[in-house]
Amino acid sequence: MSAGTRADRPVTSQGHYAGSVSRFLAYAVDITASSGVFALALAGISYVVSVVTGNHVSWNKGNIAVAIIFAGWEFVYFAYSWAASGKTFGMAVLGVRVVRADGTAVGPRQAVLRTLAFPLSFLLLGLGFAGILVQREHRALHDLIAGTAVVYAWDARAARLRFLAREAEPAGSRAQPAGDERS
Amino acid sequence: MTDPFEVLAQRVAERVLDLIVSALDVNALLDRVDVNGLLDRVDVPALLDRADVNELLDRVDVGALLDRVDVNDLVRRVDVDALVEQTDVGAVIVRSSGGAASEALDAARSQVVGLDQFIDRWVQRGLRRKHPASAGPPALVKGSPAG
Repeated sequence: MSAGTRADRPVTSQGHYAGSVSRFLAYAVDITASSGVFALALAGISYVVSVVTGNHVSWNKGNIAVAIIFAGWEFVYFAYSWAASGKTFGMAVLGVRVVRADGTAVGPRQAVLRTLAFPLSFLLLGLGFAGILVQREHRALHDLIAGTAVVYAWDARAARLRFLAREAEPAGSRAQPAGDERS
Repeated sequence: MTDPFEVLAQRVAERVLDLIVSALDVNALLDRVDVNGLLDRVDVPALLDRADVNELLDRVDVGALLDRVDVNDLVRRVDVDALVEQTDVGAVIVRSSGGAASEALDAARSQVVGLDQFIDRWVQRGLRRKHPASAGPPALVKGSPAG
């Protein structure tokens, strides 16, 4: 075992402010997932209604009721996810999470405030998101309003160990006696 | 007053003793001693029975002892990568973690973090920021300014 060689290199960004690509991709995954679930729910309702009443129900994209229900669903999806665990499905996939500005876990109040402020970043011609790029702590407008930040929750060090372990495993497997394969 | 004869006798005795000691070859004397034989005659278990180990340990200040050990430095000196590669620890880690999906996710996240850092570097360069910002919130990253 060599001392003080590769062990000195920082391999994890866990707890660091998350960058723009991670956050954008997490949002893309979330929108795809939440819209998909919503569409499936509408299709399910249509099917049940057609079976029960015999009438075919079609959902118009311009229907104000559908738009309101969709907005409500998105609110629940984001607010509940952030309040419950600090991350949505997309954030979990990309390995990022929402925390308070000081790094502690977000509460329901910050989660709701962040969800309500989120559309503002869009409404200002998307300029609210510019903070992710240029602000020192990579905080968007909705982050500044809600007092939150997004950090990497993914442990790159553990991933690196898993990678090294997988590389080392074939050699270990070859070293096993043939009799062990029966067990 | 002391007897002059007694003083003389004492001086003679001291002188004789000095002469004997200087004439003795201590190393040669020790060579003639059978140390193993001597140790065989010592009943070590009985000796240990007489020692109160618990009392001895009570007198050791373990806290002070640990304070003198720099555990972080100790851990830093361990090459974990080499440890995983050369021991069965690697197999344990693989068994206790996910399979191909986990590996793909690790690889994808690594790429995304790399892209994040690449873009951030260029933005900071474009904004001509000389002082690097804190890496993360104070509660999560050691060395970040509090507040």
